[in-house]
Amino acid sequence: MDNPTQTPATPLGHQAARTPRTRDEHLARVLAGTDFLLFDGAMGTQLQARGLAAGEIPELLCLTNPAEITEIHAAYVEAGSQVVTTNTFGANRTKLGDAATVEQIFSAAITCARASGARYVAADIGPTGALLEPMGTLSFDEAYELFAEQVRAAHAAGADLFIIETMADIAEAKAALLAAKENSDLPVFVTMTFDEDGRTFLGTTPEVAAVTLSSLGADVVGINCSLGPSDVAPLVKRMLPWASCPVMVQANAGLPHVEDGRTLYSIEPEEYCEAVADMLDAGVTVIGGCCGTSPAFIAGERALLEGRTPAPRTISTDFAVTSAQHLTAIPAGHVGVIGERINPTGKKLLKQALRSGNHDYVLGEAINQTRAGAQILDVNAGLPEIDERATLVRLVSELQGVTTLPLQIDSTDPLAIEDAVRLYPGKPIINSVNGKRESLETVLPIAKHYGCAIVGLTLDEEGIPTTAQGRLDVAQRIVDACDELGIPRQDIAIDCLAMAASTDQSAPRAILDGIALVKRELPGVRCVLGVSNISFGLPFRPLVNATFLAAAFAAGLDLAIVNPMSERLMDVVNSWRVLSGEDESAQDYVAAYAGRKDTPSGAPSGVTYDTSSSEGISAALASIAGTLQEIASGMGKAPSAGSAPAKAAASTPASTDATPEGHVHELVLAGRKDPVPEAVRVILADTDPAHDAMYVINEVLIPALDEVGARFEKGTFFLPQLMASAEAAKAGFSVLRDAADTSDVPSKGKIVLATVKGDIHDIGKNIVRMLLENYGYDVIDLGRDVDPQVVADCVVEQHVELAGLSALMTTTVPAMSETIELLHEQAPWCKVMVGGAVLNPEYAQMVGADYYAKDANESAHIATEVLG
Amino acid sequence: MGVGLRIARESYQITSVNRSEVLRYLGHSGQSLSAELDERIEAVTQRCLYMARPRATMASFAVEEIGPDAVVLTGCALRLTGHDITQHLASAHEVVLFAATLGADIDRELRRLSLTDALEQVIFDAVATALIEKTADAANAHVRAYAAEQGAFTSWRFSPGYGDLPLSVQPMLLASLDATRQLGITLTPSHLMVPTKSVTAIVGIHPTPQPGLESSCSICSLAEFCSIRTTGRTCRG
Repeated sequence: MDNPTQTPATPLGHQAARTPRTRDEHLARVLAGTDFLLFDGAMGTQLQARGLAAGEIPELLCLTNPAEITEIHAAYVEAGSQVVTTNTFGANRTKLGDAATVEQIFSAAITCARASGARYVAADIGPTGALLEPMGTLSFDEAYELFAEQVRAAHAAGADLFIIETMADIAEAKAALLAAKENSDLPVFVTMTFDEDGRTFLGTTPEVAAVTLSSLGADVVGINCSLGPSDVAPLVKRMLPWASCPVMVQANAGLPHVEDGRTLYSIEPEEYCEAVADMLDAGVTVIGGCCGTSPAFIAGERALLEGRTPAPRTISTDFAVTSAQHLTAIPAGHVGVIGERINPTGKKLLKQALRSGNHDYVLGEAINQTRAGAQILDVNAGLPEIDERATLVRLVSELQGVTTLPLQIDSTDPLAIEDAVRLYPGKPIINSVNGKRESLETVLPIAKHYGCAIVGLTLDEEGIPTTAQGRLDVAQRIVDACDELGIPRQDIAIDCLAMAASTDQSAPRAILDGIALVKRELPGVRCVLGVSNISFGLPFRPLVNATFLAAAFAAGLDLAIVNPMSERLMDVVNSWRVLSGEDESAQDYVAAYAGRKDTPSGAPSGVTYDTSSSEGISAALASIAGTLQEIASGMGKAPSAGSAPAKAAASTPASTDATPEGHVHELVLAGRKDPVPEAVRVILADTDPAHDAMYVINEVLIPALDEVGARFEKGTFFLPQLMASAEAAKAGFSVLRDAADTSDVPSKGKIVLATVKGDIHDIGKNIVRMLLENYGYDVIDLGRDVDPQVVADCVVEQHVELAGLSALMTTTVPAMSETIELLHEQAPWCKVMVGGAVLNPEYAQMVGADYYAKDANESAHIATEVLG
Repeated sequence: MGVGLRIARESYQITSVNRSEVLRYLGHSGQSLSAELDERIEAVTQRCLYMARPRATMASFAVEEIGPDAVVLTGCALRLTGHDITQHLASAHEVVLFAATLGADIDRELRRLSLTDALEQVIFDAVATALIEKTADAANAHVRAYAAEQGAFTSWRFSPGYGDLPLSVQPMLLASLDATRQLGITLTPSHLMVPTKSVTAIVGIHPTPQPGLESSCSICSLAEFCSIRTTGRTCRG
């Protein structure tokens, strides 16, 4: 997400529960799941059979050949279709171009559909044809606007409902669904298309689609296109338990092939209807057809519905949240882990990462928590000196690049919450609402509108109640307000708020009793708890946290917000799952713990150190040095993906150079990162007081990098070797940063990097970034497809003296030229270097650049020349 | 005149990529490789092969007219414009369009690596580039077999952006193949395909052998996917 600033299309304070306007009683019964609805079959297939050329815009026929379109609709009505779908699949502004306006097409298409005599006209909305950020370049807001234009046109032209279909991207489906909900009061049906492996092209599963879209307020969800009906059946059966609304299916008639110059589909109506009957038995209530189907298929389906009543369905009451690719579901009686680490409160390195905008550290925390067994990650970007709204949105986007876990959006600013949950391609948790009237009135409508789960804190205008009953009273108010808005009970998690036992020893009992009371008095509601506050002010906090966590689970806690990297806490979680019966036959426990022994008492291993407590008062002055050492060594040992630390360590002695400095030099040249941290620590441990961080940087790491650069220029190193060396040097730098006060490691200046607007190739830019960071520059990486003004704004705001731009395509070089022009105009002090496959020195001069960097190494030379 | 070719979606099982090609993309020219780097390239290669879903969609159209600066196809709204494609297809009576892709998981992994590991991003990109080329070869082998069935010959695959065939034909080319629905290929406003490891191509079907036809199967990049040889013949006639 290069340009996160955006304003939600709707202000705070959405209408409460949205009841769609239905044309008649039958449609209302369909939405209640008590009656069937029969759609039509393929439009495209019918048009091709009538001679539509491949690649032609079929929607234009609504204007040029309306009688033919009505004829196709009428054939479906005659076969039994209750709904006909307008010929508007691709009728958006970008696809239509200059050929027609969106209003013209929808108006004509709805007229054609009405003329068929159908009971209902469904306005068809297909995908935009472009991929949303971050993998594509279309912003969520741009997609929303394309859809909103279609929705307004269809609504004005008199459609009865919307069918948003053939969606492969849950983010795009969400944009379309929100556009429909926010610009019309008509019912919205949403279907996605799945691949042979049971995921959409972008990796969404049927369960994720069902939870996300039905929570968001789709009136009907389902599957269309994809495959033949017998292949769709198992997928729709996975969807049924997770959709809190009716489920629909419009499958293909198999795959097309050519016989004697005619395109035919592989499945006949009889076989097709057999598979549809199976899905009706499973609980599907809305059917029709997609590619390759014809009126004969619809006639068969109509016969299926004769005398049939909707099959009963069992819908899950699990606490369920999603990312675009992953469902985290916690059934009643099970416990879940929410990772707490991405929260700057009391964390120096995280604060620094958020301030600098270099989020590597944050992403590392996400990766580590995911590996450690977290099921949901909390994300908090609340620092007074930064733009929380923009930072939260950017973090949420970046985190999805490194983890598939659903996120818990944690903020006290309702505007930041709405920005983040609007864009989030899944069902997140909002952390939090509380019992204050203002909080209930601002946060709950956001949770309802965007279909989020919610953490409810038991505090109100009077503060945090000291008793269990007081906590229940506040919880009751929160739950009542949720009930009123129609937020389901299973989406509410009450936090009874852990207070320090060291200041009030009656607090733990009140919290535990509060949990039990809430679970008993508010059926269906879950309990969540940020555990670590309980131990505030006590030494060896992880032990207290663990004991309390076990007690809280026994009291009925469902979700623990903890540090999943704390082995001690995860031991409690894993063992509790055996005791509660969640871990059936203790299979997971045995697999993880068989053969394990306790570490000797009094010697907790590095991993159980709760670094979140290191700034609490427990960190007695005398032990600070030792603690830092321990943390540093723990971090140094953290294995990285795909590496083999043990093996690397074993081979270290053989390559030891005469001096520690020589050893580091050699490791950097060899591109071996794993042994570097230890080797750097050896230099720092030297008794010579001059051997500080600056010494290591200037006398050891930089000279090694210079030599690597020289070898690269001579051609004795090729690119991956240059990068492996840069990685090794980076491992050294991070030791220095962790061990020393960061103010000891001065920056050599700021450099902005960006891949220009329209270009999505970021590899070259990433290589340059890696190298420049290693030379000690602060790199502000704006990402790819970056708008010229965003580059200029950043350069001006931070008074940056060097900007690097890359472009890989000839088509995007004009954007580079435009960016440079803007920079020279608005930030004349800033030098610009450019690079990329299509550039050469002459071309670089032509676009107005100050420097041409033929490769990453050259960019380091340029940086030295400009910034020193 | 052929009977017509339409393959909505074909998957290819590809279990290896050419290592020297990957190294070439990485800028390698004989430097000695450390065991560590070598292992890393191998591990990334295996991961890429595991994550990729090489697939193609294709359709044939009869040539209606070859003008001085454009090729017109029957039953297809796509106009292939420019001197180079016109020359390339000058003797073709039929044209096969295809689109191939490795799928969105590859882009997602590239994005993950761009946030976490620049070196592996570079290596993964090189492997994926070799793999999509190989996927395009597999699709091309399909077309060549289709031509051979009619006793005809193919010209080498020509992609938008080659010569003076503009990238602006991409929207119509993808629409003609229904490639967004079949394979999930989308376009940015500057006509770049996403998933980025995707290829579109135009292959002519000609009555006579075309330049660029390999002199033997042993040097043919399509050999691994060739179904002509199983019939005891070759694409050379």
